[in-house]
Amino acid sequence: MASFLQSVFEFLFKYRPVVFEKGRLALATPWPLSFLLLAGAVIALLAILAYSRAKAKSRNDRFILAGLRVAALALLLFCLARPMLLIPTVIPQRNFLGVLVDDSRSMQIADRDGVPRGDFVQRNFAGPDSALRAALAERFMLRFFRFSAGTERLDEVSSVGATGGATDLAQALDAARRELAAVPLAGLILLTDGADNSESSLTETLLALKANGVPVYTIGLGREEFDRDIEISRAETPRSVLQGSSLVVDLVVEQSGYRRQTVQVNVEDDGRIVSSQEVRLPDEGEAATVRVQFTATEVGPRLFRFSIPPQPGELVTQNNVQEALIVVEDRREKILYFEGEPRFELKFIRRAVEDDENLRVVALQRTAENKFLRLGVDDAEELAAGFPKTREELFGYRAIILGSVEASFFTHDQLRMIEEFVGQRGGGLLVLGGRRALGRGGYQGTPLADVIPIVLPPDDDASVEAFFAEVTVEPTRFGLTHPVTQIAATMDESAERWPELPPVSSVNPIFEVKPGASTLLTGNSADLDDPLVVLAYQRYGRGKALALPIQDAWMWQMHADIPLDDMTHETFWQQLLRFLVSYVPDPVAVTAASDRVDPNEPVAITAEVQDETFLRVNNAEVTAQITSPSGAVSEVTLDWAVDADGEYRAAFVPEEEGLHEIRVGAAKTGEFLGEHATFVEAADLPTEYFDAEMRAPLLRQIAEETGGRFYTPETAATLAEDVSFTESGTTVIEERDLWDMPIIFLLLLLLLGTEWGYRRARGLV
Amino acid sequence: MSSAFSRSLVMSAVGVLGLGATLVHAWAVDGPQAGSGRRGQRGGNAALEERDVPAGRDFYFTRAVYTGYRRPYFTSWAIDFPKADRQFLIGLRRLTNIDAYEMENPVSLDDPDIRKYPFVYALEVGYMALTEPEVIGLREYLLAGGFLVVDDFWGTYEWRNFEAEMQRVLPGYPIVDLPLDHPLLSAFYEIGEIVQVPNVQQGALGGPTWEKDGYEPALKGIVDEKGRLMVVINWNTDLGDAWEWAENPYYPLKYSNYAYQIGINMIVYGMSH
Repeated sequence: MASFLQSVFEFLFKYRPVVFEKGRLALATPWPLSFLLLAGAVIALLAILAYSRAKAKSRNDRFILAGLRVAALALLLFCLARPMLLIPTVIPQRNFLGVLVDDSRSMQIADRDGVPRGDFVQRNFAGPDSALRAALAERFMLRFFRFSAGTERLDEVSSVGATGGATDLAQALDAARRELAAVPLAGLILLTDGADNSESSLTETLLALKANGVPVYTIGLGREEFDRDIEISRAETPRSVLQGSSLVVDLVVEQSGYRRQTVQVNVEDDGRIVSSQEVRLPDEGEAATVRVQFTATEVGPRLFRFSIPPQPGELVTQNNVQEALIVVEDRREKILYFEGEPRFELKFIRRAVEDDENLRVVALQRTAENKFLRLGVDDAEELAAGFPKTREELFGYRAIILGSVEASFFTHDQLRMIEEFVGQRGGGLLVLGGRRALGRGGYQGTPLADVIPIVLPPDDDASVEAFFAEVTVEPTRFGLTHPVTQIAATMDESAERWPELPPVSSVNPIFEVKPGASTLLTGNSADLDDPLVVLAYQRYGRGKALALPIQDAWMWQMHADIPLDDMTHETFWQQLLRFLVSYVPDPVAVTAASDRVDPNEPVAITAEVQDETFLRVNNAEVTAQITSPSGAVSEVTLDWAVDADGEYRAAFVPEEEGLHEIRVGAAKTGEFLGEHATFVEAADLPTEYFDAEMRAPLLRQIAEETGGRFYTPETAATLAEDVSFTESGTTVIEERDLWDMPIIFLLLLLLLGTEWGYRRARGLV
Repeated sequence: MSSAFSRSLVMSAVGVLGLGATLVHAWAVDGPQAGSGRRGQRGGNAALEERDVPAGRDFYFTRAVYTGYRRPYFTSWAIDFPKADRQFLIGLRRLTNIDAYEMENPVSLDDPDIRKYPFVYALEVGYMALTEPEVIGLREYLLAGGFLVVDDFWGTYEWRNFEAEMQRVLPGYPIVDLPLDHPLLSAFYEIGEIVQVPNVQQGALGGPTWEKDGYEPALKGIVDEKGRLMVVINWNTDLGDAWEWAENPYYPLKYSNYAYQIGINMIVYGMSH
C-alpha cells in the first residue's frame, strides 16, 4: 500500500517525496517577481470585469466563475515563474559512504519466511554486481565495516558469518565515524536488526553524528515480532547462598504464539534437575513473573540453569534458557539471640536450627536481674559481660534476635549500636513478640523504632498491657512466594499448610507495618477486627529487619496436632534465620559487575573495604588474586575510587573460558583487614538470542536524529538515490523543474473543466 | 514421699512429740485440699476437674497426672499437691524473672493439652502404673520436645517400677547418670553436689535422710538420639517436700535451699535446652 501511494505521488509530482524533503523551492523566472505579480493582478482584474458583465443568474454565479478563472490564471502564472527545487546532491565518486554490517549471531535468525536476516546483506552487498551495492558504488566510494561487540574494517562482505556474541550499535557508529573522519563522508548505512544488547548509550553517539553532519541510513532486518517464541528474559538470583538454603527465583517469561499455554520450567544445578514445575504462559505482549523454588545443596560456585523445553514451531529456542552463577557457601553464620527472660521460644529455636550446619545461634538469656545464661559461646570471654557494649563485639555477629527484653535494659549507645548494626554493618535484626518486647517494652522513640518494620502502638495506650490473642496464621500474597514462608515442597502446598498449623499467641497488638515494609504472615482470630501482623520485613540501610510479634511459635513443634516427624517448625526457623543472615557483608567484600561474561570481555571488579567495626577504610592496599580455570594466577591491584569511601575498583579480562576465582585481600599498614572471593565465568553466552526482534523504533530514531532514513528490505531499493541527496561530503546544487509536474496540468484542467461544467449546469452557455 | 501410710504414722508421732504445729500450719495455710497423703488425692482430683488456667504466660509449673496403683484410696501423682507447687512458684518468681503462672497446673499425660506445657513435674513415680494412652501421651510429649522432671521415689523396688514404666514410654532409651559438671547444675545456681533431701518428718526430726534402701541420692536422665535431655530423674530424694515445707522452721534450711536451687536450675535448663 505504501509503495502504491509512493508511485501515485511520484506520478503526480514527478519526483519522489525525498526530493521534496531534501530540496528547497525557488523561482527561476527571468522577469522580476513584481512584474509577474502586477501582470497577474491586471489579468485577474480583467477576468473579474469580464465576468461582472457576463450573463449570469445570480451574484454567486459571478463570484464562483470569476474565482475559478482567477485560480486557473494564477496557476499559469506560477508555471511562468518557473518554479524549481534546489537540492544538494553528491558529486559522483567524490564522496565516501560507510556501510556497517551487523555481524552478530542474531543475524542468523531466519524470521523472514525462513530466510536468515543476514541473507539480505549477502544478496545486496556481497558481490560487486549486487543490485544495491552497484547502485551505491556508482555514486560513492564504499567502505565496509563489520560490527558486533567491536567494529573492524571489512574487505569482503561475503566473509561476514554472523558469529559475534553481542551487538553494540553506539560503538559501531562511533568507530565508523572516527575511521572516516578525514574523508568527505556522505553518510553511513547501518545494516542491522537493531537488537542492541550493550550497555552503551546512544545519546552521545547521535549528537556527535549530528554535529558532524553524518546522516545514518538504517535498514532494519528481521521481524518486529516473532510468530512463535518463548523467552525467559530474566532470572533474579542471589550471588551467594548458604548450603541447603531454599531459593525462590523470579523468572520473567514472555511469549508470542503460545498464549496461556502451560509449559514446564526446569531448574538444573550443573546438569542435574533439582526442580520442575508447570507454569501458565502470559497473554501476548505481557511479561509474567514465574517463581521457581529449589534447594542449593552442593557447595561451591554452581551454574544454575532455568529452562523451558523448546515448543513445537518455536523460532528461537536459545532464549528459552537463563543461566546464573550462584556461590553456595558452606560456612556457619553466627547469630546472637538475646532473650530478656527464660522462655520456651529460646529452647525451641535452638532445637530447630541445631541440625543446620550453616547456622549457629549464640544465646544470651537474662534469667534474673543482672544474671545471664550464655549458650553456644565460643569461649569463656564471649558475652561474659552481658550484651555487647562495643561495635567490635556486636558486629562480629551476622544477625541479632531480640526476644522479650525491654528497651530500658539497653543504654542509648547500645540501642544506637543495634541500629547501626543493621543500617551500616548490613546485619539482620529479628524482633520477637513478648511481654517486654516492642510497644510493651517501650521501644517507641528509641533508635530501634525506625529499624523495626512495624508500627508500634502509642506508649500511653493502656490497652496494650492487657492484650492477648490466639491467632491462626496465614501467608499474605507476598508471603506465599517468599522463601522464608515456604514450609512445604511446593508453593501451593505451603499455602494450604499454614492455616492448618495450630494457633499461636501474641501479647503485642501490632496491626500495621511501616510504609515500605512487607507483611509475610498475618494472624486471624474471631476476637480481632483486623488481622494481626505475624511476620513483617523491611530493608533498613544496608541490612534488613524483621518482626515476629508472637510469643510461642514453638506451638508449631509441640502442639498435639503436629505429628512427631513434622519438620514445619524446623523448616520455618531455618529459613527465617538463613534469610536473616543472607547477603550480610563481610568487612572486605568483592563484587564483579557481571558473573558471566564472554571470553575477553573486560570485567569490572569492585571491593568495599571496612575495618572490623565496619568503618570504611580509604588508604588500604587492596589486591585481587585471579585464578583462571587452568590454574594460572595473576594479580590485579585495586585503586581507591575517590568518589566513594572504602571503595576500590579494577578490571580484568578473562582470557580463558571457564570459571575464574577473584580473591580480594585488603591490608592497612601491614594489618590484615580481611579477604573475600567471588567468581566469574567466561563462556560463550547466548545474549544475542534475547530481545532479538528487529527494533524498528530504535533504528528509526537513529535515522531521524541524524538526518537519514529508515528502510526495510522492501523499501531499500531507493536507498542509493536517497543517499545522493545530502549536504554531507562534496556536493553540488541540482535544479529540478516543477512547472511540468503532471499535477499542475491536471489542476489546470480541473479548474477550467469545472468552470465550463458550472456554466453548463447553470444554463449560462 | 514414698510411703504415705507410714508417713501418716510418723506424722502422728510428730504430733505427739509436739511438732503437730507443722500440720496445723499446713492446714491453716492451704486449707483442707493442701498437704500430703490422702488429702492430696482428693484435692488433686478436684483441681483437675476444675482446672481453669489463663493462657498467655511464659511458664506453667505443670504437674503430671498419671495412673498409679497398689492403693485404691491414694493417687500418687497428687502427693504434696498443690502446696508444694504454689510454694515453689513463689520462690521461682522471686528468684528469677520467669513469667510463671502463680498457681498449680495439673494435666493428665493422656490429655493433648499437656503439649502446651513443655515442662512437666511428676513425683512418686515408683507407683506409676501408666495406662496405654498415658504411655503414648508421654512418649510423644517427650519426643516432641517436652521436658519431664521426676522426684520423690526411693529404693530399689520403686526404681524398678519406674524403670519398667519408662521402658514402656521410651523403649530402648537408656537411663544415664548426669555428672556433676552437667550444664543443668550450672544453669542458674552453681550446684556442686547432689544432696539427699529428706521428707518433712525425717528432716524435721533430724533423722536419717534416706527411705527404704535408697541410701544414696542420684541425678539421672534420659536423653534422645541427639543427646538432648528429655527426662531428669531425682532418685532417693524428695524435692517436693522441701518446697512444700520450706517455711517450716523445723525443716532444715539446707535441704529446702538445695531443693529450690536445683528446682530452678531444672526449669531454666528445661526452658533453654
